[in-house]
Amino acid sequence: MKEPVARTITPDTKADETLRTPRAYEAEAVDDGAETEADPFAPESALDDIFSPPKRPNIFARIFWIATGILVTMGLGLAHDMLLRDLFAIDEYLGWFGVGVVALFCVGLLGLIVREIMAVRRLRNLDDIKAQAIEISRSKIAIEGRRLLREIDAIYAHRPDLARARQTMKDNRDALFDGDTIIEFAERTLMASLDERAKALTAASAGRVALVTAVSPRALIDLAFVAYESVRLAGAIAALYGARPGVLGYWRLAGSVLGHLAVTGGLALTDGLMEQVIGQSSLARFSVPLGQGLVNGLMTVRVGIAAMRVVRPLPFAALKQPMVRDFIPGLGKVTVEQARGYKTARRK
Amino acid sequence: MAQSPTTLVDELGIALNNLADAATGTFTPTLRLGVTGLSRAGKTIFITALVHNLLTGGRLPGFTPMAEGRFIGARLAEYPDAAIPRFAYEQHLAALTGKTPNWPESTRRISQLRLTLKYQSNNWFSGFTGHSSLNLDIVDYPGEWLLDLPLLTMSFAEWSAQALERAQRHGAEAKPFLDVLGGINPQGEASDMAAEALAGAFTQYLRASREDGRALSSLPPGRFLLPGDLEGSPALTFAPLPAIGQPIRSSSLYAMLERRYEAYKDLVVRPFFRDHFVRLDRQIVLVDMLRALNAGPDAVGDLETALTDVLGCFRQGSSNGLSRLVSRRIDRILFAATKADHLHHTSHDRLEAILNRLLANASRRARFAGAETRSLAIAAIRATREGSIDEQREKLNVIIGTPMAGERMGKTTYDGKSEIALFPGDLPEKPESVFQDGKVTLNFLRFEPPRDLSHNAEGAVVLPHIRFDRALDFLIGDWLK
Repeated sequence: MKEPVARTITPDTKADETLRTPRAYEAEAVDDGAETEADPFAPESALDDIFSPPKRPNIFARIFWIATGILVTMGLGLAHDMLLRDLFAIDEYLGWFGVGVVALFCVGLLGLIVREIMAVRRLRNLDDIKAQAIEISRSKIAIEGRRLLREIDAIYAHRPDLARARQTMKDNRDALFDGDTIIEFAERTLMASLDERAKALTAASAGRVALVTAVSPRALIDLAFVAYESVRLAGAIAALYGARPGVLGYWRLAGSVLGHLAVTGGLALTDGLMEQVIGQSSLARFSVPLGQGLVNGLMTVRVGIAAMRVVRPLPFAALKQPMVRDFIPGLGKVTVEQARGYKTARRK
Repeated sequence: MAQSPTTLVDELGIALNNLADAATGTFTPTLRLGVTGLSRAGKTIFITALVHNLLTGGRLPGFTPMAEGRFIGARLAEYPDAAIPRFAYEQHLAALTGKTPNWPESTRRISQLRLTLKYQSNNWFSGFTGHSSLNLDIVDYPGEWLLDLPLLTMSFAEWSAQALERAQRHGAEAKPFLDVLGGINPQGEASDMAAEALAGAFTQYLRASREDGRALSSLPPGRFLLPGDLEGSPALTFAPLPAIGQPIRSSSLYAMLERRYEAYKDLVVRPFFRDHFVRLDRQIVLVDMLRALNAGPDAVGDLETALTDVLGCFRQGSSNGLSRLVSRRIDRILFAATKADHLHHTSHDRLEAILNRLLANASRRARFAGAETRSLAIAAIRATREGSIDEQREKLNVIIGTPMAGERMGKTTYDGKSEIALFPGDLPEKPESVFQDGKVTLNFLRFEPPRDLSHNAEGAVVLPHIRFDRALDFLIGDWLK
């Protein structure tokens, strides 16, 4: 137990307002005894928050890919070497020109690789922030919460559309004293507008898919369109939440979204199955392509929701997660309007 | 046997009043917020901060209606009861935010306030009805009066036994009173002279023990300290007497004092209780833990007894729309350890743990009745900043502020001008330790109100606070759904 202490402040001992780093806090907590031990009874995070990260491939697969990489690199190097030799053999100036082009190629490749790595990092960063947010909501440690807030702030620092929300956050940050309140507040302030826009993107995408499916002559075409729209939608949502995925990022993102869809069975938890079944069957009775359109539209909606859950840096806690049923009225309107057009077209 | 705190006639009146409220409240419902706390617990500050934050749309990120952007505004409305003065919000605010800010004086009389809140409901039908409003009724009163509530359930003999037992424990301060008491024969003929002498000595004793600051809580009757216009009336001229076995003659001193005790209950305590505490919807119990912790285990024990007794008088329990017509019950109680700004926020959870321990009985009883309870460490107005200091290679979490003039720490007495960094000592990890002697060394100082407050875009002062928004959210947030 420490004795009370009071010190008159002279400028050199005056403590500055920066709060201590988390490490310092832990060190002090250790002094106090058993408090810092992990609570063995603490609940595990809920099932729907687990997106199993892409597993590391097994040893043979790794050997295979590494070997392939080396072979391809060697082949490329050899090909370049041969090409340059040939060019020099033809004419020296042409050879030097070739060297310049190869240099440009290397610069371009390097740039691409760096960009890809950055993009994947951003995605990981979002994942990491979400895990921390869940942890802080449980531990309620204010200092951790404020630190996480600064991290989130850094993600959106270049976004003009969030300037006001960020300012609100900055103004209120010091008035909050509990980790869970801080996270909740950040979600309300920053995520609310992003959620709305993600929902709008999803709805528009689903509408397009429904339309294309209903009018396309071949099943293959609408399949391709659904795939294209899904990838585009996931990418747009990721960019909206601050991930800006590159090609590899897309790959990872698609993997996570698909994984998420597999875990939740394509249905957001707590979403009612009833409306969907009723809506689909009645529309299908009306017209088969329209029913198909609705089905594909709903599929896209699920992809959108899954993408939101995957890339949103904070878990849905204070705000409600969008559900498939929120999109049905809009989608229904699109398809019913088509139906009218379809009917009139047939009458002619 | 414990008596019921209200009479049958009271109950009838309460039910009728509730019915009338329900009728007038069809369009604008009224929420009665009971701000409960012993003297110096921070009731006036809490109410002032509440009114100011709601009126000016203060910085309340954790208050859901405001965070969701549904809170439109508030204004001061006329209180329906014309007999009671209005809460002097403007004066209190001016005192707090003036050039040399100071905390408001101890409250000496009852006052009230009604706020009308405007908000956008997020019900599906809110689109048809437009903005909704809610009246928020708040009463401020001297905390000493609160201690009278347990008297309603006690007879004169019971109260005398309790008060005399306590006087014997207090020793020095109670000596003059006990001497006077020793020279009086309770069986003797009643005389005003004897009664006045006794009551005078008793009042002196109560006053002395309040000045002392050790026994800070359990000293009813409250009006002896703050008599108001009842001073010298027979209802305030009584004192505890030792129990006597024989049948009591109606002309004896004992019988006279017993009659006066009953009159005190009927004329003073019961109306206060009936008019302001029976028909509450929400309750916040403000507890100044730090002062009790400063004073030591006895004071903490006293505080526990007093709060448990007082809270036993309130009507708690769940209520529904139908039962609310005739009987109102407190369905949410917030236990708040006030002045949380006087220690670093990393200690707040321990403060809450101690508060929970202190109020364990009261909160168990409330939850059993069906009320929802929560405890928070709050500061309605935050007077300090936080920082850290390196002391002998040990990092201390300190708070930075200006202690009030006359506050003492070790050998130093502060003048109310110099700013210091204070580490008040670690709160114990086990709440139980605060009830045991010599376990805990703490020294909390009282701080001057904050200076140089920031202003919002409309020029209103922004009051810094700690968890005040969460307190508010718990108390009224669900009514603004």
